[in-house]
Amino acid sequence: MAVVQGGEQKTMKVVGVFYKAHEYAKDPKFLGCAENALGLREFLESKGHTYIVTDDKEGDNCELEKHIPDMDILITTPFHPAYMTPERLKKAKNLKLILTAGVGSDHIDLHTAAEKGMTVAEVSGSNVVSVAEDELMRILILLRNFVPAHTQVSEGGWNVAAVAYKAFDLQGKTVGTVGSGRIGLELLKRLKAFDCKLLYYARHSMGEEKEKATGATWESDLDKFLAACDVVSINLPLSDKTRGMFNKEVLNKMKKGAMLVNNARGAIVDVDAVKEACESGQLGGYSGDVWYPQPPPEDHCWRYMPNQAMTPHISGTTIDAQARYAHGVQEMLEQYFSGKPLPEENYIVREGELAGQYQ
Amino acid sequence: MASRKSGSLLLSGAKALSKQHGFAASAANTRSTQILPGFASPCSFSRYSYSSSAEGQKKILGVFFAAHEYAKNPEFLGCVENALGIREWLESKGHKYVVTSDKDGPNSELDKELADAHILITTPFHPAYITKERLAKAKNLELLVTAGVGSDHIDLRAAADKGLTVSEVTGSNVTSVAEDEVLRVLTLVRNFAPGWKQVNEGGWNVAAVVHHAYDLIDRTVGTVGGGRIGQEVMQRLKGFKLKEMLYFDRHSLSAEREKELGCKREEDLDTMLAKCDVVIVNTPLTDQTRGLFNKERIAKMKKGAYLVNNARGAIADTMAVKEACESGQLGGYGGDVWNEQPAGKDHPWRYMPNNAMTPHISGTTLDAQVTISPQFFHLNAFADCLRFFSSSVLGLLLHGWIFEFGFGF
Repeated sequence: MAVVQGGEQKTMKVVGVFYKAHEYAKDPKFLGCAENALGLREFLESKGHTYIVTDDKEGDNCELEKHIPDMDILITTPFHPAYMTPERLKKAKNLKLILTAGVGSDHIDLHTAAEKGMTVAEVSGSNVVSVAEDELMRILILLRNFVPAHTQVSEGGWNVAAVAYKAFDLQGKTVGTVGSGRIGLELLKRLKAFDCKLLYYARHSMGEEKEKATGATWESDLDKFLAACDVVSINLPLSDKTRGMFNKEVLNKMKKGAMLVNNARGAIVDVDAVKEACESGQLGGYSGDVWYPQPPPEDHCWRYMPNQAMTPHISGTTIDAQARYAHGVQEMLEQYFSGKPLPEENYIVREGELAGQYQ
Repeated sequence: MASRKSGSLLLSGAKALSKQHGFAASAANTRSTQILPGFASPCSFSRYSYSSSAEGQKKILGVFFAAHEYAKNPEFLGCVENALGIREWLESKGHKYVVTSDKDGPNSELDKELADAHILITTPFHPAYITKERLAKAKNLELLVTAGVGSDHIDLRAAADKGLTVSEVTGSNVTSVAEDEVLRVLTLVRNFAPGWKQVNEGGWNVAAVVHHAYDLIDRTVGTVGGGRIGQEVMQRLKGFKLKEMLYFDRHSLSAEREKELGCKREEDLDTMLAKCDVVIVNTPLTDQTRGLFNKERIAKMKKGAYLVNNARGAIADTMAVKEACESGQLGGYGGDVWNEQPAGKDHPWRYMPNNAMTPHISGTTLDAQVTISPQFFHLNAFADCLRFFSSSVLGLLLHGWIFEFGFGF
């Protein structure tokens, strides 16, 4: 907690790790890049704090490592995640607060953060709609076979059949979300108008009201859920429980030719199992914006496997989403500096405890 | 993959569609409708008392795209190899059925076979351009059926002058096209294509994608045309919590329908364009709509707005769209229709920045093909078509109607 003694605030060293935008940084609305520093520089420096921003986060000699020993506050973002391992957290003697500019804080070793009494918080809800829209887009892209079609015309070709032979409508299909938290719910609400059958797999029912609003049915048995779905969208956080959940065995329980969308976290699925399933046709297609690690190496097999609609990690960092999470981070910093609590739903690690979804 | 075995990815096909549109799958209710007005109810075909002198063998010519190696899927009905899945049925009735994908140029298979065909089946995805000249040479022709929606590839005036009947499978792929339009809106607004290209080339640069990536929520979307497809797309966009969903159409939807769709009518096109972040074209190609989106009209759109056109390529001016994408007047342009299909290798829409183009696919998913194939839905309607086409009385009536018809513009 920031110590306010005699009306004077301790000056803090705040470190932010964001992706670089280079030539695109000149748009002042592009807040989430390192150059524009989440739009927080003026705010922080006017309060007398030091604000260091970098995109250099990998390896022992990176810029981030230099500042670990004395930083008080760390701001990270899932789109260019600063992997705060137990080792790094143990070196961070002054670190008290870690804020995620976005949603999903698995890039921080939460157990170690809890042990060391750190507070970890994220801007809950800041980009749930962004991600849900993006997932719906990917469902359509996979079913309607958009990628080969677009590639075709970009290369001067024209062959309707080469696309249409495995192009389907969404209407009438069974679509399921694994996880019915904020993002899963927003996805279901948007899918409703497409006249498809909606299922959700979750530990608990989301209640009658939400089921009525979405028209979705709860399936608590994963095997039954997987066997029923033409399309599956993963909407879980990455935790000890969900890491590697979609392995070869689970993929084989899906309908042959079903589509899998994962904008959640790359590590929830087994990299090679997905690649093999796309090659064999067990998966009709796989699409997502998340990988492990990020950035992925040039030879990551998901780049080159058949029937994929992959992108870099973009869904939750549209210009609109950046404005929301930048605002959310600033709000939390204001609250922190004035000794106020953060919004309840934003806490991921608080007083030695992990938030429910990470337990 | 498209097998109907349980446990595999199913085609939604006919069942879902018939439920949605309230079409009974029974033979009495057909979905084959004439484009020309006055025939609001397809069942009216059978109400006409005409002498059924049209018995006897007919030559039916079908023009479809070739699927080559993909034709082995029997559910891929819409290709020339599988001939819309109606060969057995037509031949069992004693008719002659010829199919080809060779449609362009003066010595094409189409021209050879058209000379004595009674019925011509065409499809927008590989359109047989039936000009006045071609019609003049088609001595036996009496009926043209479009396997799909949109019959602008036929010179309709010339067809009417000759007393021909032109029919399409109204509503057959409206859902398919509407879904596809939502897809294009999202891929443009969220800047999907450059992201995909990047990772495929071994790269990683979040900023290079997201500097031009936005959410759809709180934006204003307008559809030019509030007909079948326009309404289907508005229905699907409702859940995206737009700031406003607008539509421009000669006719107004009922207040109830507007409430259901969450949309508002704009009486003036240019006024609507100035408000929209995204514009979707949902009109047929007619004399009034040809070149509608030219340089002047695009200039009336918000700078950076997105334009989606799964209607017909010729509704938009090819060069004007290219220049607008290059200048940034358009934030992006996406669609599956081109002014000429197949599109030439050098067509600028392939290479302009911020495009989400594809070949003409939206209305010919496997699910849509199943609904288009006449056999599936309206064996009897097709049979009706075969019976009445020779009625000269009907021919005159048709001639009279065409000039009154306006596609909502």
